[in-house]
Amino acid sequence: MEALLFNVSGGFLEGIVRGYKAGLLTQNQYNNLTQCETIEDLRTQLSATDYGNFLANEPLPISTSTISDKATQLLVDQFNYLRSNAVEPLSKFLEYMTYAYMIDNVILIITGTLHGRNTNELLQRCHPLGIFDTMPALCVATNVEELYHTVLVETPLAPYFRDSVSAADLDDLNIEIIRNTLYKAYLEDFDAFCQSLGGPTADVMHRILAFEADRRALNITINSFGTQLSKEQRAKLFPTIGRLFPEGNNALARADDIEQVRQACDAVSEYRAFFDSSGSQQRANGGANGTTGSESTADLLGDLDGELGGAADLEDRFFLHEVHLNKLAFLQQFQHAVFYSYIKLKEQEIRSVTWIAECIAQNARDRIHDFIPTF
Amino acid sequence: MGDEYPTLFRSERMSLVQLIVPTEVAHDTIAELGELGNVQFKDLNPDVNAFQRSFVGEIRRIDEMARRVRFFASQIEKEKELVPIRPLYDSAPLVTVGPRAAQTIDELDVKLAEHEARLTQMNESYKLLSERLRELVEARHVLRETAQFFNQAAVRETEVRNSLDDSSAPLLQHDDREQQYSSGELQFDLEFVAGTIDRARLSTFERVLWRVLRGNLYMNYIDIQEPFVDPATGAETRKNVFIIFAHGDILLGKIRKVAESMGATIYPIDVNADKRADSMREVTGRLEDLQIVLYNTGANRRTELMTIGESLASWQDVVGKEKLIYETLNLLNYDVRRKTLIAEGWCPTRDIPQIQLALRHATEESGTNVPPILHELRTNRTPPTFHRTNKFTEGFQTIMDAYGVATYEEVNPGLFAVITFPFLFAVMFGDIGHGFIILIAAALMILFERKLGKADLGEIIGTFFFGRYIILLMGVFSIYTGFLYNDIFSKSLHLFHSGWDFPGNETTGIANGHTYPLGIDPAWHGAENGLLFTNSYKMKMSIVLGVIHMTFAVCLQVPNHIRFKRFADIYTNFIPQMIFLQSIFGYLVVCIIYKWTVDWSKASTQPPSLLNMLIGMVLSPGSVNPEEQLYPGQSTVQVILLLMAAVCVPWLLITKPYLQWQEMKKIQGQGYIGLDAEDVPRHTDDTTLEGEEEGNGRAIVEADGEEHEQHDFSEVVVHQVIHTIEFCLGCVSHTASYLRLWALSLAHAQLSEVLWDMTLANVLGIPGIIGIVALVLGGAIWLVLTIAILCVMEGLSAFLHALRLHWVEANSKHYEAGGYQFAPLSFARLNEKQ
Repeated sequence: MEALLFNVSGGFLEGIVRGYKAGLLTQNQYNNLTQCETIEDLRTQLSATDYGNFLANEPLPISTSTISDKATQLLVDQFNYLRSNAVEPLSKFLEYMTYAYMIDNVILIITGTLHGRNTNELLQRCHPLGIFDTMPALCVATNVEELYHTVLVETPLAPYFRDSVSAADLDDLNIEIIRNTLYKAYLEDFDAFCQSLGGPTADVMHRILAFEADRRALNITINSFGTQLSKEQRAKLFPTIGRLFPEGNNALARADDIEQVRQACDAVSEYRAFFDSSGSQQRANGGANGTTGSESTADLLGDLDGELGGAADLEDRFFLHEVHLNKLAFLQQFQHAVFYSYIKLKEQEIRSVTWIAECIAQNARDRIHDFIPTF
Repeated sequence: MGDEYPTLFRSERMSLVQLIVPTEVAHDTIAELGELGNVQFKDLNPDVNAFQRSFVGEIRRIDEMARRVRFFASQIEKEKELVPIRPLYDSAPLVTVGPRAAQTIDELDVKLAEHEARLTQMNESYKLLSERLRELVEARHVLRETAQFFNQAAVRETEVRNSLDDSSAPLLQHDDREQQYSSGELQFDLEFVAGTIDRARLSTFERVLWRVLRGNLYMNYIDIQEPFVDPATGAETRKNVFIIFAHGDILLGKIRKVAESMGATIYPIDVNADKRADSMREVTGRLEDLQIVLYNTGANRRTELMTIGESLASWQDVVGKEKLIYETLNLLNYDVRRKTLIAEGWCPTRDIPQIQLALRHATEESGTNVPPILHELRTNRTPPTFHRTNKFTEGFQTIMDAYGVATYEEVNPGLFAVITFPFLFAVMFGDIGHGFIILIAAALMILFERKLGKADLGEIIGTFFFGRYIILLMGVFSIYTGFLYNDIFSKSLHLFHSGWDFPGNETTGIANGHTYPLGIDPAWHGAENGLLFTNSYKMKMSIVLGVIHMTFAVCLQVPNHIRFKRFADIYTNFIPQMIFLQSIFGYLVVCIIYKWTVDWSKASTQPPSLLNMLIGMVLSPGSVNPEEQLYPGQSTVQVILLLMAAVCVPWLLITKPYLQWQEMKKIQGQGYIGLDAEDVPRHTDDTTLEGEEEGNGRAIVEADGEEHEQHDFSEVVVHQVIHTIEFCLGCVSHTASYLRLWALSLAHAQLSEVLWDMTLANVLGIPGIIGIVALVLGGAIWLVLTIAILCVMEGLSAFLHALRLHWVEANSKHYEAGGYQFAPLSFARLNEKQ
């Protein structure tokens, strides 16, 4: 049925988004970028790509944050173009995507206010995709209930927030709990929405969201070691749509150290590879060397730097796997997941470009290859 | 070579040249060649990254300068009052060649940086001042509006007390009132916050406040009429003054916080009316001061912009040229040891002396005595196609280039299009009046060519202007065909003695022995069978013109075959095609003309239908109905012609593949195996040999990256089959396609007649003042519609069909169009782009 009717409303935008995807930087272009000596070189290189002359009118010297901001602005423009041309159910789907940024922004502002930061400065640091009207008023709230009743009640996040209203004061731990509760509710809701769409969208999105859920569960577990967060509370924060659910989640809830986390992940072969330290010490930069299918991902990840323990390293692997899943989404036609995947890939690309720019700016050329390539 | 004079018949002969340029004169040499504009440089380091090339530093510097110049331009554009930019031809030239070139560029760089710094500083202070001004204006508004509010409230107070028990009074007012009541004498013990906020955010602000304070507030707001303009971006924002009453410090604190985070500005307002008046005075005073300062700053900024505007055009020019020069220099091969740059590129062979001269000139200019050296290289690569056009032929050549760029040295259809295109257009557009209108339009464009060429005409007018010489010829030819059709604004001219008389009230014309010497006899105009006559006439004429046009196009193959030494193609392709075309459609044309020569009123048989004759010739060969016979012996002739055409099909199909196969056999028989190397170099010149003798190892450029056409036998067969089918079927459909000449000219004539009848014909002959008014009105409508519909719309449609006839019907017969355009380094093109 999708093949018959999808293009009626989604064909144009799918074409657009696949065109955008074709503009993502290639391995070759990344290689060129890493050879740059200065930020100006980087600008020259980038002007030959789809980024075009986005930095042409910036006075020298260009800071890395300018590059990141301008690149994000490009992404936001593209997203807004897609969004303003979309019709149901795609428009709803795109709206769902902005909720994640909204959650991030809400948490950013609450945390910032808690630590006495200037509101305007905070507003500028918010992600442009997650901005909503009443957002600035967040800084007034002093406790969770107030937060809900003054601001969030009229945002789409309100239903997610309902569960965490009970918590009393705003402190760092509570904010963290709020963030994770929101995310859990959001992921579950988004997944339910995708399932209601059915067809390939449901399949592909479920795969991506399940990984996202598991990633959060693992992160919560690992980050909660040695904090005041009780195990019961922790268990409540785990999203229930991941591949680890339910046994893995239960195991994670009981875990006390990284070894137990690894055991919890044993059931899923791809995840096992995240903790696999027996792989070769060679760092595989060719993340995009034509690997498809889930088994090869495991191999690919196994090839990575095996020194386990550094959370940053684990994070990199998560990103790599996310990129891989998002790339798989493009193999299916007539579905909405490509929109999600494109935005995620583009975000990753911006992160990579910023990383390269940062390495060039700080003259840390030995780490310049530690970015995560998209295509 | 035999072509001393540039011709459009074939593309210009090109040479691959090598320039060895000492580093000192490289910049000046490229500048000189850029002015000359007839060398197309090749990229000699395609593997090198854009930022690893030799002149990246310079390019980056130029980019920075370009950015500054763009910044100035945008600033000037944004300035509300017009800042004059002195045009390029009026400003003093900035010399960037010669020994002082580097210094000039350095000076320019410094100058631009200084201007930028000054301008940014001024912008900043201007912005700061306008920001302050805005705040003061807002403060004034807040003061004024709140004062109004306080006054109103004071008046209302009495009413409020009276209606204390009114249960339907809103809750808020009630609170308000109680507060007042309890606080006794002071009217406004309630504390409040006043300020301004963006109108778009007002509703959100109100909503949030309502929720934060749980409704414990009283808010009032008034629109500020005039918008606030951001000096930097020119964007308008509309704002509202708000005043919020609430009770308690915590609530007020919250209000302030929300207001600040929502981007509102809060102004301290005193409850006391006197103090308010004081601050009002103060604000007004400061506002006046600030306005004066702001005006001065603005004036300074404007003067600065004027100074920039004086030389902006020449800066833009210099920066653009310099960038192009360095980009070209990056294409060259840089030999660090020998301090030379090696350039390779295509140029027209004819222009080599000119280039030599330019090189010498560049050496003299730069003050060194090491001249750049120019070699001509031998190569077997296909040179680019370059047709030397002038402003007259340019438009016609562009029409053909839009279809495809001619293969190197192929016969160029653009040359013939100069006449055939306007002619075929005119066949469809024939009308003396309409032709005259477009002739006048084109003549005006040509007359004011210089002035219009400089102005920016926009896309649509610009296109017409570009094609002004095409339009001119189209006009001339339309007048000519208009005479032939005897049509002027759908009326006919009575220049000569008509061949028909209408004695008395007779409705049937009687031939009087005269023959109308040119065009259609005006007696046909308005005759009942006039349409029948012109239809038959124009239909046959289209076929005749079409067959002539196609025959000509087929003939154009021959010079190509001779030039490319494909002599076999003459009798495997050209001759059978010609026979096929002529034996069927050529015969039809002969019959048409023969039928015109016969006086059928005196003949024994009825005039036969030529269409049926042609169909009968193919479907039932050898039998002609004696009643429809055109001439005796017709059936025999037709059978012979048909047989000739039938023979041509296998001839076309088989001979060429067979000859190739035979040749391949022969080569293999001699024991050779096909190597990929090309056999014969395209041309050898004495200069090339000299180049070799000088011991330069790079004199012969190896053919790299050039794909060789594999002489695959099956490919040849498939190609020939397609070609044969295309040609044979094409002959039929293309001949029919020329009927569009008839259809469009008919439509044009009918449309102009309808227009005349609907407008002018109705108002002619009305007596008195009304008649004059009606005539003026009707005439105006008629004129506007004539130009808009008949000249512009119909003209475009006829243009389109003429285009199609050239591209599809004629070009498919001979045009290979497999070349690529010559794109020389040229400063003139740079200016065109901007």
